[in-house]
Amino acid sequence: MGRRTKIGKKIGYWFGVLKATAFSTYKEWAAYRSQMAISIFVGPVFFLIQLFIWRAVYATRTTLNGLTLEQMLTYYGIVAVIGYLTYDSADWDLQWLIRNGSFLTYMLRPVSYCFLAFAQKIGHRLLALWVEIIPVGLLFLFVFKIRLVPAEPGWALFSLGLSFVLVFLTNYCIGITAFWLTKTEGIRRAFLTLRNLSAGMLIPLNFFPAWMQKLLFYLPFQFITYVPTRVFIGHYELAGISLSIPRVVGLQVVATLVMLVVARLLWACGIKRFTGVGA
Amino acid sequence: MLISVKNLTKVYKTYQRGSSFKETVKSLFVRKPLYVHALKGISFGIEKGELVGFLGPNGAGKSTTLKILTGILYPSGGTVDVMGYIPWQDRKKYVAKIGAVFGQKSQLLWDIPPIDAFYLNKAIYVIPDREFQRIMAHMVELLDLKDVIRKPTRQLSLGERMKCEFVMAMLHQPEIVFLDEPTIGLDVIAKDKIREFILEMNKKGVTFILTTHDLSDIEHLARRVIVVNHGEIVFDDTITTLRRHWGEKKIIAVSTVYPLPDLTRPGVTVTKRISDYQAELELDLAVYELNKFIALVNKSSTIRDLSVQEPPIEETIKVLYKT
Amino acid sequence: MKNNIRIYLVGAKTALASRMAYRGDFFMSMLIMLLVEMAAPVITILIYQNGATFPGWNMYEALLIQGVFLLGKGIAYPFFFGIVWNTIERVQNGTFDLLLIKPKSVLFMAIVTGFDAEDLGKLVGGVTLFTLALSRLPAPEPGAWLQFMVLFTITLMVMFGYGLVLAGLGIVWIGNFRVYEIFESITSFGLYPTAIFSKSLQTIITLVIPVAILGSVPATVLLGRPSPGTLGAVGVSLLFLLFSLGFWRWMLKKYTSVGG
Repeated sequence: MGRRTKIGKKIGYWFGVLKATAFSTYKEWAAYRSQMAISIFVGPVFFLIQLFIWRAVYATRTTLNGLTLEQMLTYYGIVAVIGYLTYDSADWDLQWLIRNGSFLTYMLRPVSYCFLAFAQKIGHRLLALWVEIIPVGLLFLFVFKIRLVPAEPGWALFSLGLSFVLVFLTNYCIGITAFWLTKTEGIRRAFLTLRNLSAGMLIPLNFFPAWMQKLLFYLPFQFITYVPTRVFIGHYELAGISLSIPRVVGLQVVATLVMLVVARLLWACGIKRFTGVGA
Repeated sequence: MLISVKNLTKVYKTYQRGSSFKETVKSLFVRKPLYVHALKGISFGIEKGELVGFLGPNGAGKSTTLKILTGILYPSGGTVDVMGYIPWQDRKKYVAKIGAVFGQKSQLLWDIPPIDAFYLNKAIYVIPDREFQRIMAHMVELLDLKDVIRKPTRQLSLGERMKCEFVMAMLHQPEIVFLDEPTIGLDVIAKDKIREFILEMNKKGVTFILTTHDLSDIEHLARRVIVVNHGEIVFDDTITTLRRHWGEKKIIAVSTVYPLPDLTRPGVTVTKRISDYQAELELDLAVYELNKFIALVNKSSTIRDLSVQEPPIEETIKVLYKT
Repeated sequence: MKNNIRIYLVGAKTALASRMAYRGDFFMSMLIMLLVEMAAPVITILIYQNGATFPGWNMYEALLIQGVFLLGKGIAYPFFFGIVWNTIERVQNGTFDLLLIKPKSVLFMAIVTGFDAEDLGKLVGGVTLFTLALSRLPAPEPGAWLQFMVLFTITLMVMFGYGLVLAGLGIVWIGNFRVYEIFESITSFGLYPTAIFSKSLQTIITLVIPVAILGSVPATVLLGRPSPGTLGAVGVSLLFLLFSLGFWRWMLKKYTSVGG
């Protein structure tokens, strides 16, 4: 048998597993779609508050930190949409499986848990696409008149895809900590809160004091939200450093690869502990 | 009469729901109601000091009955009178006098010792200190829980936890105790201990009403059985009568010195002919008397060994469930 | 009454003991409960540090509003707002029935078994933010303090009302913890000076849905410039409390007719 067809077969197999897993997750969550649809209310309400805050702030000025009111609102709009697109619960899922012992059933499967979890995320987000993302996007577009059109669509899409993977990897790493800790609720929420802050979900990162911006520049979190949002707007700046879009996306690729390695290492240690303890 | 139930009915209304996009949009405007008749008018009475078992397949209406009797659910029709109370109307006063153990719903607190949960109940039911200590000591003794009640609940075995659930439910000395599958998942020893405890408390005058899927619970505990199916009572009498419900039958195994003749005749069903010298059969005593049958076999083939057994109760129950 | 207080204290004690079984996680969670509430103050501080303002308000005045809001939440969440998650969780896993077989009102039992120790972190944060902001502002008159106390009591009553509505929703909307998000989003309007909102929105959050009463209405009394419509806000709050009690009863009735 030729090498090529062998690889082709393997890819076909993986794709089949991915599709089946994603589809079953989609169906499973379809029963909870009314919960998901809460975003259609919550998202715009939070946005409305931002709208009034920044309108008040800009009442006496036209730019702040290099952003106009319109750009500021666009920032929050895009942050919200990216949040919905890349959301996942890999951390919660994994710690739950480990704590109640049903993780064992995944150890018995011929496919890695990481791959299955990622497929689940895809299924979950596909459902979210029509339940929350498109409705919220339309509201932003037509009610709040935010221009949800990227400056450079190709780069924006690529950056978004990387963010999708990065969010998964970071959450996945937090989930892995359950191999060591009996209760991970605290550390999970601590990490998520700090991550969201460092990713620029609350406020654009260039609002932070200079020293913090420098720190944030070297942390991986900016690549989760801040970078794709900036790529979307078409202009990146942090800690006084301006980078071109291809460059910053390049850095995002590096960050994603680094996270991949970190996740692998952490996973290897965790599994060793899991099988060692024999939980 | 301690408990009297007349014509109890319960109808649930639910809505059909689809999962496709089209069905979702449609369900926003029109919803198709579905009516489920969980209880179709059941009546029974229970005297003080009885120990009654409720049997029935899943979804037969056992839990609904139990929920109504404990005041958790109100019925669609009919009357219930327990110790002079209407459970769902006089709920607070009423539940102070009853106890309940749900095999699948723990009243204990996972991360702390059972005794701390007991103290919470002491406060809720306003049990005086002395009485609390006395009753707890008594039950701890009966159930062998001495070291157990001070360990965190999560470290206890399932059996130990279930025993603690009993203490929890009975600290306030209820007159009636409802048990919903109290031995589910337990090993034989724990089951025995719990059954012993129930019988002991029953002797002291506590009325027990239990639902279970475990027929040995019923055989060991209940003198009276109520079988519910499709929301109706299909049987309500003693366990001995239940055995005889479908005719008085015996299971007979026989082995002989000389070859057996063809035994098939009215009242005799051969279930297994192992060899010419050995067979198992079912005998209907109403049609063919036992002594006559033994004489018949002995005369034709000379009995070497013979055993007479009750038919397994499962068989009777299966027949009841199928109707 | 004395009895109920005793039951509540035993309930709080057992909840605390449960939570202390994992000490590290407990203190971490307490810290987090505080941190997650810091979003609005962080945004506010960063806006002012970058040289911008909410016109007509200095930073500490804005922070005082958020301090009052957090103080209210800090009291509500550990002591009685636990009815929300407690109800949702119990209805979901079937243990809500266990509250119904206790000889006390279901609401009281839901409060007792819903004591949430880690949310004490919010209280610490509320006290800190409130005192910090107030220390940088002119001291309020004793009269203002008195008015504040009255209004803040109403704040807590409204918090309780929201708790009832969310818990009630949790009975029919099984397993839906996102009701918290609905609450967070609506009440966020109470975190900022009402003046930054449009006129119609100001009316809505003061006189239709009691949101301003959670932060800006009591805070502005301390600042010596009471919000317009304070009296109306009080009236609406009391009506809201009545409505929420009715809503809870209605949902509970639904539960006892369907049985979860």
